[in-house]
Amino acid sequence: VYNNSKPRLGAAMSHAAATTPVAMPTVKQLLAYVINPDVVDFWLQQVRPTWSMQRGLATIVGREQINHDTLTVFLRPNRHVPTFQAGQHLNLTVQINGMRITRSYSPSRHPAHPHDIAITVKRIEGGVVSTWLHTQAKVGDVVELDGVFGQMTLPAADQPLLLLAAGSGITPMISLLRESYRISKTRPAPTTLLYWVRSPADIGFLDELQQYAAQDHLFTFHIFFTRSSAQRCYEGEGRIDQTQLNQAVADVSAYTAYACGPTGFVQTATQLLAGQVKQLCTEAFSLPVVDDSLGTVQVTLTKQNRTLTIAKNQAILPALEAQGIRPAYGCRMGICNTCVCPKSQGSTTNLLDGSTQHDATQALKICVSSARSDLTLDL
Amino acid sequence: MMMFENPLKKTSLARSRTLSETELQAFAAELDALRQSVLANIGEEDARYIRRIVKSIRISSALGRGLLMLGWFPPAWIAGTGLLGLAKILENMELGHNVMHGQYDWMNDKTLNGATYEWDIVGTSDNWRKTHNYMHHTYTNIKGVDDDIGYGVLRLFPEQRWKPFYLGQPIYAVIFALLFQWGVAIQELRLGQLFSGKKSKEQFAIEYAPTKRKIRQQLFKDYVFFPLIAGPAFLPVFTGNLVANGIRNIWTFTIIFCGHFTENAEIFPKSVLENESRGHWYMRQIRGSSNLTGGKLFHILTGNLSHQIEHHLFPDIPARRYAQMAPAVQDICRRYGQHYNIGNLPRQFGQVAWRILRHTLPSQPKPTAVPIPTA
Repeated sequence: VYNNSKPRLGAAMSHAAATTPVAMPTVKQLLAYVINPDVVDFWLQQVRPTWSMQRGLATIVGREQINHDTLTVFLRPNRHVPTFQAGQHLNLTVQINGMRITRSYSPSRHPAHPHDIAITVKRIEGGVVSTWLHTQAKVGDVVELDGVFGQMTLPAADQPLLLLAAGSGITPMISLLRESYRISKTRPAPTTLLYWVRSPADIGFLDELQQYAAQDHLFTFHIFFTRSSAQRCYEGEGRIDQTQLNQAVADVSAYTAYACGPTGFVQTATQLLAGQVKQLCTEAFSLPVVDDSLGTVQVTLTKQNRTLTIAKNQAILPALEAQGIRPAYGCRMGICNTCVCPKSQGSTTNLLDGSTQHDATQALKICVSSARSDLTLDL
Repeated sequence: MMMFENPLKKTSLARSRTLSETELQAFAAELDALRQSVLANIGEEDARYIRRIVKSIRISSALGRGLLMLGWFPPAWIAGTGLLGLAKILENMELGHNVMHGQYDWMNDKTLNGATYEWDIVGTSDNWRKTHNYMHHTYTNIKGVDDDIGYGVLRLFPEQRWKPFYLGQPIYAVIFALLFQWGVAIQELRLGQLFSGKKSKEQFAIEYAPTKRKIRQQLFKDYVFFPLIAGPAFLPVFTGNLVANGIRNIWTFTIIFCGHFTENAEIFPKSVLENESRGHWYMRQIRGSSNLTGGKLFHILTGNLSHQIEHHLFPDIPARRYAQMAPAVQDICRRYGQHYNIGNLPRQFGQVAWRILRHTLPSQPKPTAVPIPTA
């Protein structure tokens, strides 16, 4: 039962150090012996809560209610917060009930203070982070920002652009429009935004959209209500379909199209547009999909760059071992912490108490956890 | 005052009764339920607590190192050494040891992550996670598996085979206490295997490399960097750091030895591991561990290892919760006829010291009144 392999850097480093003669440490190495970034951060943060040697931190500097369930939070970042392009996503980490929890949001620049970041958050029922941001977060609170990702960035100015957004999928589109109109009052190519919401109360950024339409005659937008009837000229009804697209843009072949919204919406948009437009880029967000049936899931191991299929009703460790993967392990009963690995995506069940964890974590005990959905593990 | 108790006074092993497999199942179910009830409440309060501990360590460490810079003035040297020793004790016990058990992994904070935390002693955290978290906690007090039984240097139980080497163990024990962090550093390297030729020099070099780096780092920090930046106060800073490390060594040695080697602590043969049930594992944790009584500050300074029994039952629950779990554990033990080993520090340490002295000479295991059932 005793496994000598180590999951971390230690083994690889020790091997390298043993096979190459140990040189005298450099001044930089010696300084690294005494300068512990955690200790330095502790003292820096006694002075100012966003000061840090390495970590991207930001202070909440403002809040603005967009509609009944949507809020924009303005953040002033420190210099470690990565720069992002309009349309990309940023990981926001907040501490709730002692626990750091991360969610991805599409940031845009503050219209008046370009160094500040605006993040728009729709309140989701049962959503821990969105609820916290809506009800608890206050000006002066510190959050973490890191991990920029996403392909939906601003195309060349002469490129016709078709933007499809459903619900809070509007936020990367607003970020793109803001950036575009910050650079220039008009775009030389047509820009069309189609925006699906449940009802008029769920519309966000209407004033801003109207302002863009007023200043740029090549910008048009249409809003579709999925659970309410249309009243105004720019409004329509129903979930995304071919007719809506045809009415908005007669010939899409020259367009770059971006779609962002829930998984179902993005799938339909892809079916309607794939191959029809010059370029299509989509991003879907969804609540965790947990399937209670037995069966199998896909586990992606990022360090090994492998994806495997394992059974859902089995602990992850033996399931991986059965396929020839040898993660480090110890007690196999959930006490010694040897087999822990970070989980970036997916839901798991703790086999000791039956609880389910949807959030990303630094430390998943794979000997006492089973998969409930597809997983991404840092193994 | 230390008192050396006569071990022949009572037959400790008879204090716990044998539990049937059915009883063991019910016993485990009760302990599991207790675990769940506490886990359900882990949150904000625990996060705030461990951050306060971190803050206390940072402040006492900075104050201690600062005062040592004025160390030619004796009161400053004494206060500085004391504060630095306190910081090291807190960092090793309440922060490092507990964080490395994964007690605060739920916070998702990289600086408090059990798998990556590196503590302020010459031993590497990676070696500790293997010898302590895995071997010691899984195979607690199993002779021949749990290296913490005497650390390969001391004979603490009559079940350990006597050799003339052990005649010197009162002296070894004192040296071991003074240099405890070095013992921890080399424990996983198993020097015995190197000397007996079971391990090649090349293999040893590979295993030793991370420890070597850690030792160099620790020695540089405490005995070169801080004394040098103190300029004229080189000597008082050097000696202050040496004494602070020594205080921490003696304290951790004392607490750890009182956790498993008191008079009534039991050791077990390897055979109990065969198909061991969860209930039996729980029972073994209780019978192989002993608690220390004391005030709140005392518990914090021991890293709450004064609740060694609760720690061994629930090693991944934040240690500050053990005090609140102890009455329930004690009640379960009473109802299932399991001896709950507890006493104050002088009494428990007296029993440990007696073990060290007694087993210097050949000794025979007492006939076990109640055999430990194998599953």
